Amino acid sequence: MQWKPEPPRAQAPLPTDPYDRWVSPEGECMAEFHRATAGILIRFPEQVDFLLSPHEGETEFTVTGWPSPEIDAKTAINLYHNAIEPILGNHSGGLFLHGSAVRIADSSTGKNDAAAVAFLGLSRGGKTTLAGSFAKAGHPFLTEDVIDLRLERGQYWLQPKRSKLRLFADSARFLLGDDTVIGDADAKQDVEAGESLPFAESPVPLRQIYVLGTDHSSDLSIQRFSMQDALSALMPHAFILDVEDRERLRSHFARIADLSQHVECHALDFTRNYADLPRVRDAILDQYRSR
Amino acid sequence: MQLEDRFMVSQDVVAREVGGELVLLDLASGQYFGLDSVGGRIWELLCERPHTLAELCDCIEAEFDAPRNRIEADLMALAAQLCDQELIEAEAA
Repeated sequence: MQWKPEPPRAQAPLPTDPYDRWVSPEGECMAEFHRATAGILIRFPEQVDFLLSPHEGETEFTVTGWPSPEIDAKTAINLYHNAIEPILGNHSGGLFLHGSAVRIADSSTGKNDAAAVAFLGLSRGGKTTLAGSFAKAGHPFLTEDVIDLRLERGQYWLQPKRSKLRLFADSARFLLGDDTVIGDADAKQDVEAGESLPFAESPVPLRQIYVLGTDHSSDLSIQRFSMQDALSALMPHAFILDVEDRERLRSHFARIADLSQHVECHALDFTRNYADLPRVRDAILDQYRSR
Repeated sequence: MQLEDRFMVSQDVVAREVGGELVLLDLASGQYFGLDSVGGRIWELLCERPHTLAELCDCIEAEFDAPRNRIEADLMALAAQLCDQELIEAEAA
């Protein structure tokens, strides 16, 4: 996969209607997918236009990105890594989901076993802060936004991604302390892993998935999904390039169905309140250790 | 709906067995639908080729231990549900 950043340009109106959109629970359009002469154009409004131009065979793409003048280079790079890469990964037969993950050591077996727990959720749903909370308590994070899974030796191995968390100011202060220096209080900050927020550098088998509910004032609750319900709960958290490409959707459905039969999947609801996070973390750890 | 009506699966539906049940996803609407073992067998038969409801009843009667009148009633109800969800469609005469 190649990535070609271009000089910034303003987002002009597009001549086509989008064939797909990513929309937040509040109704905000996060991304629009348009068919263009040279491929597929993905517009992140007021952020970046990415043009995905297929090579012969449609499994390899050249990606060109035009950031809007008002955003910085980091935002474009983050969108590339956190959206475009997993979109193309799924398109070429991989298994990528939108979520964060942490590594939890299991000392009870005496063999230093460790496995991954993943948190899937919509943007601004609390999954990065939750992963950061685990890291702060000594359970290193593996990824903050993209779950990259490889099926090997009968297990789904979760691949570590970038060693940084993107956090809003209040989350950064909660995790790192009130004296944390914040550049822009209204934008997400890149927070590098370190002693206080450790990062796991090696792949580990995925043991559990928690799908975060959208009611941010809900009481703490963990409910295990049946395998069938897990399948429908996981599908919306995949990255799909072309919802009209039926053959690829069929393949992707099959991969998620297989995942739902291999990995425990739970619905997780909790109040989005920093003071409650230790209790949420303990409940997840209890669930993890009780299996 | 009559026992002589012939049905086929919609082209927009994908199915996968998960934990002993069949999960259907309508790619057009994004809706999911679950089928138990009998429902899954009916789906399998419809995927092979279009069938009338009477033909489906014959197959289920031969393979499962249930009275004919109950099979017919259950199958009519299931077919109506699948039609409502646009997961199957009547074959053009």
